[in-house]
Amino acid sequence: MALWSLAVKSLRNRRQTALLTVLSIAVSVCLLLGVEKVRHEVRAQFLNTVSGTDLVVGARSGSINLLLYTVFRIGDATNNISWNSYQEFANHPQVSWSIPLSLGDSHRGYRVLGTSNAYFEHLRYGGGHSLRLQEGRVFTELYDVVLGAEVARQLNYQLGDQIIVAHGGGQVSFVHHDDQPFTVVGILAPTGTPVDRTLHVSLEAIEAIHVGWHSGMPSRRVSAEQLAKMDLTPKTITGFMVGLKSKVATFQLQRQINEYRREPLSAIMPGVALQQLWSLIGVAEKALLVVSALVVVSGLIGMMTNLLSSLNERRREMAILRSIGARPWQIAALLMSESLALTFAGLILGLALLYGGLLAAQPWIASQFGFYLSLGLPGPGDWLLMGAVLLAGLLAGLVPAAKAYRQSLVDGLTPRI
Amino acid sequence: MASSLMVDLQGVRFGWNRQTPVLDIPRLQIERGSRVFLYGPSGCGKSTLLGLLGGVLMAGEGVVRIMETDLTPLSAARRDQFRADHIGFVFQQFNLIPYLSIVDNVLLPCRFSERRRQRARAQSPSLEAEARRLLAQLGLDRRYERRSVTELSIGQQQRVAAARALIGSPPLLIADEPTSALDEDSRGAFLELLFQECEREAATLVFVSHDQSLRPLFSQSLSFLELNRAAARQEG
Repeated sequence: MALWSLAVKSLRNRRQTALLTVLSIAVSVCLLLGVEKVRHEVRAQFLNTVSGTDLVVGARSGSINLLLYTVFRIGDATNNISWNSYQEFANHPQVSWSIPLSLGDSHRGYRVLGTSNAYFEHLRYGGGHSLRLQEGRVFTELYDVVLGAEVARQLNYQLGDQIIVAHGGGQVSFVHHDDQPFTVVGILAPTGTPVDRTLHVSLEAIEAIHVGWHSGMPSRRVSAEQLAKMDLTPKTITGFMVGLKSKVATFQLQRQINEYRREPLSAIMPGVALQQLWSLIGVAEKALLVVSALVVVSGLIGMMTNLLSSLNERRREMAILRSIGARPWQIAALLMSESLALTFAGLILGLALLYGGLLAAQPWIASQFGFYLSLGLPGPGDWLLMGAVLLAGLLAGLVPAAKAYRQSLVDGLTPRI
Repeated sequence: MASSLMVDLQGVRFGWNRQTPVLDIPRLQIERGSRVFLYGPSGCGKSTLLGLLGGVLMAGEGVVRIMETDLTPLSAARRDQFRADHIGFVFQQFNLIPYLSIVDNVLLPCRFSERRRQRARAQSPSLEAEARRLLAQLGLDRRYERRSVTELSIGQQQRVAAARALIGSPPLLIADEPTSALDEDSRGAFLELLFQECEREAATLVFVSHDQSLRPLFSQSLSFLELNRAAARQEG
């Protein structure tokens, strides 16, 4: 205890360098724990991109591919599936609800999704949140469009704006459905999922804008009156999502869909596919953690350098302590205590920075990205990291401690300055 | 009659290598309660002798006995503890730890020695009170307490160092050129206070200096050049 109070007083005496050292450790710890936190939340958020959906069905393909184009709206479907197949499974006795998905058009780089109102009713994300309208209403008329939060923000759309949908999924398209503009009737609240980057229209609308099209090019114009008389039930869709009455039936229905004889279909459990996808892209988050751990290491090396360089000017002090009866290991322990105190103070300040920052940034992050960073107590992963930082601090302290030990043995009572 | 000796060195040789010893002292005896002037110019192995007496260094040959305790066979830790318990040191300059208060500097030995802590407590109601008592004896009253040790004059710093060496009444006080950084007036005042306190605490004082003019103030005087055959050889 005597040594500890000596260490604290000695650091207080060198408060400027000590403070800078603590600050650099604190910033690195804040970064490390921040990355860990974001990593955790991003992972949880990602794995909950769709929740409550038991199966996602599309044309026969690999599960990640199917997940990418149905849920993330990245890439294209290998094939469409027939409306009849959809109907058959939508009316399956085990199925509680289903959401049809029809993709293929876009608006200024954002995907246009044709679906039904079941989408707004049943789609869940982030552990059970349902979609919420920030403004307006869901689509009811043929040319109504409901925007995801990011689409509205990035393209600066308001309710009542007219939108032209382009054929195909690219950023730049030369073929537009410019004879049939859509009206923005609703804007969804941010979710932090691909929903934010999607424009939602009804299945009928998708059908309507393609009436008279052949091989991806318009061949004749259709008037509104003609359309009104037409049956706009689609013949094909891209895929659909299914919610079951009982989870127990999941595997059974999945097998039925995969073995469906009239059409080659694939059904995947989104949770499993998301896990697989995460294991592919999750490498990046590990890299991030490694980088922030290296920042902590550099902070601790800074501390080590400070303590080492202070040792020469402290030879006199060590000799005094020796003359009073301090043993060489006590001199070393004094240095260890100093690095422990610095690391510990850095940890505490780093935590304070992190939580202060989270508290300040949380509302902004939530509104901009629909990404909710929880302020909860540090989790087991965080404690492990903090323990590791403390341990690394002690290890870094070993170097100046060893030097002080040697120095005090050589110097004895009369330092060679 | 060994009990009357505070320091007893016999056939002590010390060297960084075998051929050229830095120190070769056939015999050095200092009586308990005496006030010894040890004359030595720099570079004659003086700090080596202090290291041996303090138990920081170990003699290659011979016996280093302080108060009937032979330091040579003791472990390094035991020698450190012996020094903490029984010896107070005052050095030439920069005796104080800059980040500790004056009182904390004086109390420093009590952090490392249970024995001196107990003795200090036996003298005064509390350790701090004992530190203040010693400081007051040495002419530093409570007005100075608030100051940082670096704000004190060198003479005042040396007095704080003396208080630190004296706290807990160690039987042996070793002063290594404690006055060489002082001007003549404060030198006299410091010595007077030092003698007075040593007498009060019944401590043996070994005073090492190259300043021959101080010799008459001591009851016994030894020349390092005569004591140390190694130094004499180098001189010759």
